[in-house]
Amino acid sequence: MLDLSAPLARGIFLLVLAVIGLFLFFPIYWLAISALKGNAELYRIDPTFYPHALSWEHFATAFGRGKLLLHLQNSLVVSGSAAALNTALAMYAGYSFAKFRFAGRRPVMLMLLSAQVFPFGLLLISLYPIMSSLGLLDTRPGLVIASIVFALPVSTYMLYSYFSQVPDELIEAARADGAGELRIFHTIVLPVSIPALVTVFLYGFMWSWNDLLYAMTLIVSEDKRTVGPGLLLSYLNETNADWGGAMAASLVASLPVVVAFAILQRWFIQGVTAGAVK
Amino acid sequence: MAVHDMSASTAQTTFPVSALARRGGLKAGERRIGWLFLLPAVAAFVLVIAVPFLRALGYAFTRYDLQTPEPVFIGLGNFRALAASPEVLGSFVTTLLYVVLATGFTVILGLAWAIVLNQTFRGRAALRAMSLLPWVLPSTVCAFVWGWIFNSRFGLLNAVLLDLGLIPFPTAWLSTTSGAMSAIVVTKVWLSIPLYMSFFLAGLQGLDREQIDAARVDGAGNLAILRDHVLPHLRPVLLVVVVLGVIGNLQQFDTIFALTGGGPVRATTVLSIEVYRRAFDQWDVGMAAAIGLLWVATILPAAYLYLRHLLKGV
Repeated sequence: MLDLSAPLARGIFLLVLAVIGLFLFFPIYWLAISALKGNAELYRIDPTFYPHALSWEHFATAFGRGKLLLHLQNSLVVSGSAAALNTALAMYAGYSFAKFRFAGRRPVMLMLLSAQVFPFGLLLISLYPIMSSLGLLDTRPGLVIASIVFALPVSTYMLYSYFSQVPDELIEAARADGAGELRIFHTIVLPVSIPALVTVFLYGFMWSWNDLLYAMTLIVSEDKRTVGPGLLLSYLNETNADWGGAMAASLVASLPVVVAFAILQRWFIQGVTAGAVK
Repeated sequence: MAVHDMSASTAQTTFPVSALARRGGLKAGERRIGWLFLLPAVAAFVLVIAVPFLRALGYAFTRYDLQTPEPVFIGLGNFRALAASPEVLGSFVTTLLYVVLATGFTVILGLAWAIVLNQTFRGRAALRAMSLLPWVLPSTVCAFVWGWIFNSRFGLLNAVLLDLGLIPFPTAWLSTTSGAMSAIVVTKVWLSIPLYMSFFLAGLQGLDREQIDAARVDGAGNLAILRDHVLPHLRPVLLVVVVLGVIGNLQQFDTIFALTGGGPVRATTVLSIEVYRRAFDQWDVGMAAAIGLLWVATILPAAYLYLRHLLKGV
C-alpha cells in the first residue's frame, strides 16, 4: 500500500514501527524479566535491561504464598462453565436470528444486542441482592450465571453472522428428508460451524477469565476466589508490595489465555470483527 | 388413509418443511421454532440483564442504604442530592477526560499500527499475532505491569526519565492527579490497541489495490494515498471503532480499580468507580443506582449509533 522505496518514507515507517512496537511489547518483556530477576536485582534505582542472574525465587513464592493454584483452578472451572453456557445460549439465538423469519425477531435482536448499553457496574448493584436471594451469592454457579452479561450480546451477533452464511440449500435438503429443526441444527449446522463456536467459546472464556469486578464482588470466600481478584488481594499493597511475586504470578495467570490465543488467534479476529466491517 | 398419506408425501416433496412447520402452516411453524431457539438466551437476558436493570432503575428513586435496609421511595431525592454534589459532577468530568484521552490515543495508535502491519514485510504474520497479547492479558495483570512501570521507587519510567535528564528526581506518579490519570489512560490505550488494530486491519482488506496503483501512476505520494484513498475507505470502520471505544471506556473499571482505586483522593474516580464505591463500600444503593442511571444516559448516544450499524440489513 505504501511505497517505501524512498529513504525518508522508509525511515518514518521504521520509526512508527519501532515506537508502537516498543510500547506494545516492551511492557510484556519487562513483566517477564522482572519475574525472573532476584530481589537484589529487581529493586534497583538503575534497573538492568535483562536479568544478569536468572532466579526462580518469585515463582516459588508465587506458588507458595496465597492460593495461586487454587485460584487458577477456580478460574478454570468458572471461566470454562461461563464460556460453555454463553456459547450454548448464543448459538441457538444466533441460529434463530439467521435462519428464521418471524414477528418479533428484530425487536428481540435489538434487545439482546442492546445489553451493552447497561454498564456492568450498574447491573451488579441489583445482581448482588438477586444472587443473594437465590442463594447464589459467594458460589461459583452464581458467578458463572452473572458472567453471561459480558459476552452474550457480541457472541450472539458473531454466531448470527456466521450462521447467515451457512447455505440455505443445506438446511432445505435436510428438511426435505424430513429431519426436525433441532436435529438439523445439531447434526448438520453445528458440525460445519466449529471454528465459529470455538471463537465464541474463547471470547466468553476470555471475558470471564479477565474479569475483576464481578469476580471480586460476587465471590467473597478465599477458597472460591478466582485468579483476577486473587492476584489483586495477594499483592496489592503499595507500601510493602512484592513486585517480583506479583510479576511471576501474573505470568502464570496469563498463560492459559495466551496459549489458547496463540493456537486460535486467526479465527478469533475474523469472528470478533464480523459485522463491524460491512 | 391412503389419500391422506399421499397428500402428505406430496406436500413433503413439493414444500420441504419440517414436521413442526406443517402444523398450522409455514409461518406459524417458523415462528414457533424461531422462538424455541431464542428462549434460552431471552431467559438469560431477562434474569441477568433486564430484571437487574429494572430493579436498579427502581432503586434510583429510593433511599436504600445501611440505615435503611429496605428501599423507601423518595422520588427524585437522590437526583436532587446528585445535582448538588460537586463530587459527582467531578466524576463526570473525570470520566469525560478519561474517555476522550483513552479513545483518542487508541484510535491514532491503533490506526497507525494497522497501516504498518498492512505493509508486506518478513515476520508480519508473527508480529500481527503477537500484537494481540496486551488485549488477552487479565486486567489485574495489565494493572500490575503498568503499576510496576509507574512505581515511584523502582519503576522503569522514573529510571528512564532520570537517565535522559527529563526529571530531576523520582516522581510518585500514582500519587499525583495528572500522573495517576496518565497511568490509567496509558494502561487502557495499551490494552486496547490490539482490538482497534484488528478492526482497522479488517477494514484495510477491502481496499481497492488497483485504484491505489492507478493513483501511484498519476504521481500520488504516500501521504496523498493515505489522505485520499485509505482514510476515506476506513471511515465506516472508524465510526464503529470510535463508538465501541467510547462504550468500552465509559464502562472501564478493572484496570482503574486495580491501579489507583480511584485515587489519589478522587483524581481517577470515573463513574464506574463512583458507582462501585457508593454501592459496595458505603452501601448507599439508592445513590449508586441514581448515578448509574445518569451513566447509562451518557452511553446511550454511542450505543444507538452502534446498534443502528449492527442492525443494518437485519
